Amino acid sequence: MTTAHEWRDLAAPYALGALAPEERRAFEAHLAGCDACRAEVGSFAEVAGLLAYGAPSAEPPVGLRDRVLAEARRVRPIAPAPRRRAPAAWLAAAAALLLAVAAGVEAWRLAGDVRALEHRMAVLDSTIAVADSTLAMLTGPQVHVVSLAATGRAPSARVFWNHARGRFIVLAFDLPPAPAGRAYQLWAIAKGQAPMSMGTFNTDANGRATVVLPVAREIAVLGFIDNCGLTEEPVGGSPQPTESPRLLGAWVHTD
Amino acid sequence: MAAMSSALVADRLLVGRMAEGEDIALGELYDRYGKTLYALALAIVREPADAEEVVADTFGQAWRQAAAFDPGRGSVGAWLATIARSRALDMVRARGRRARAHERAAHLSEDGIATPVAGLGPDPGRGAERSEARRLVAQALATLPDPQRVAIELAYFEGLSQSEIAERLAEPLGTIKTRMRTGMEKLRGLLSPLLEGAA
Repeated sequence: MTTAHEWRDLAAPYALGALAPEERRAFEAHLAGCDACRAEVGSFAEVAGLLAYGAPSAEPPVGLRDRVLAEARRVRPIAPAPRRRAPAAWLAAAAALLLAVAAGVEAWRLAGDVRALEHRMAVLDSTIAVADSTLAMLTGPQVHVVSLAATGRAPSARVFWNHARGRFIVLAFDLPPAPAGRAYQLWAIAKGQAPMSMGTFNTDANGRATVVLPVAREIAVLGFIDNCGLTEEPVGGSPQPTESPRLLGAWVHTD
Repeated sequence: MAAMSSALVADRLLVGRMAEGEDIALGELYDRYGKTLYALALAIVREPADAEEVVADTFGQAWRQAAAFDPGRGSVGAWLATIARSRALDMVRARGRRARAHERAAHLSEDGIATPVAGLGPDPGRGAERSEARRLVAQALATLPDPQRVAIELAYFEGLSQSEIAERLAEPLGTIKTRMRTGMEKLRGLLSPLLEGAA
């Protein structure tokens, strides 16, 4: 029998991710019903978060900010879930801050053409860098590929799974852009399991898309999926497909 | 990874705006945490190009999952650090660098990873808050007895479990458990000025 005291002692190593798997599972089961331990874990998790500041100081490369923004512009955030109601005081503070931030944004917008152009150039540079790294990922070792074909129509897609880098590289052809508010969503289908979302994207006016999507942990741990399907869903994606696949293909495993 | 309470509210606000698809908010979040997360990633993966990828992936994940962020479960900074640390550790594991990590850890157990940052001057403007946090954390870590600090650092920066640490240091498991717990409790006390806003 584990005492309350012994459970509490697990909060710190749990927050550091240092429990053995079976110990972690037992503790998580206990956490579900123990407010005191959950609070303890919460406070140690903040301490663990602060340890990031304990790393030796290092200067990130200059282009990293633009790379982060360029990648974000290619992918839309997952549509917001209905938010729980926040206390009114928090909302008021948030509204005040929002106004202040909006004023700042306006000033930023007016900040001169030169800066905007310089920024645009940096974005283009990083777009090229992304294209280069996409190419590198396609040609690297440990890459699996699936081709998705329509039964009658022309659209097709090809998905590469780069295991080493944990990325799907999606190429779509002759796929008309999804209408406003809609997007294409890819599904990993493993036998005996519900489809798992691989991410969303849309094509351009020419029906083309080249997208790099990170491989979700649940898919990565499987390491192997049987089929890949494509459906049209609301922007941000659905938890499960809402129509039968428009494109479908089986993975080709080369190793 | 919480700083002043005003910054905390603004952090959450930024994440809310990211959920609406405002990339300016993402840029702002990068300005606040990019440097810290890069240093964290570099401490774990050791290769600048890999660290860069970890940071890009971290912000990518934060961007896509902004709507799922739950302030009730912790600060934005802790959320980002958790993502970055786990991606960095995944990368080290995926690339079969276990052997090298072991060598590094052997080195770490002598020197510790957190070299004192006493010479670090304050960053201008907004960065000042972060460098205050950096100073306090370095100071707190330096206050811990070495065995406690090493146990915590091996878990955090190398992703080792308590039994792996015990094996590495050839110490009884019970000793490692006690060191880790005692060290974390001390850190929580020492870092309380940074943690208050997060409660």
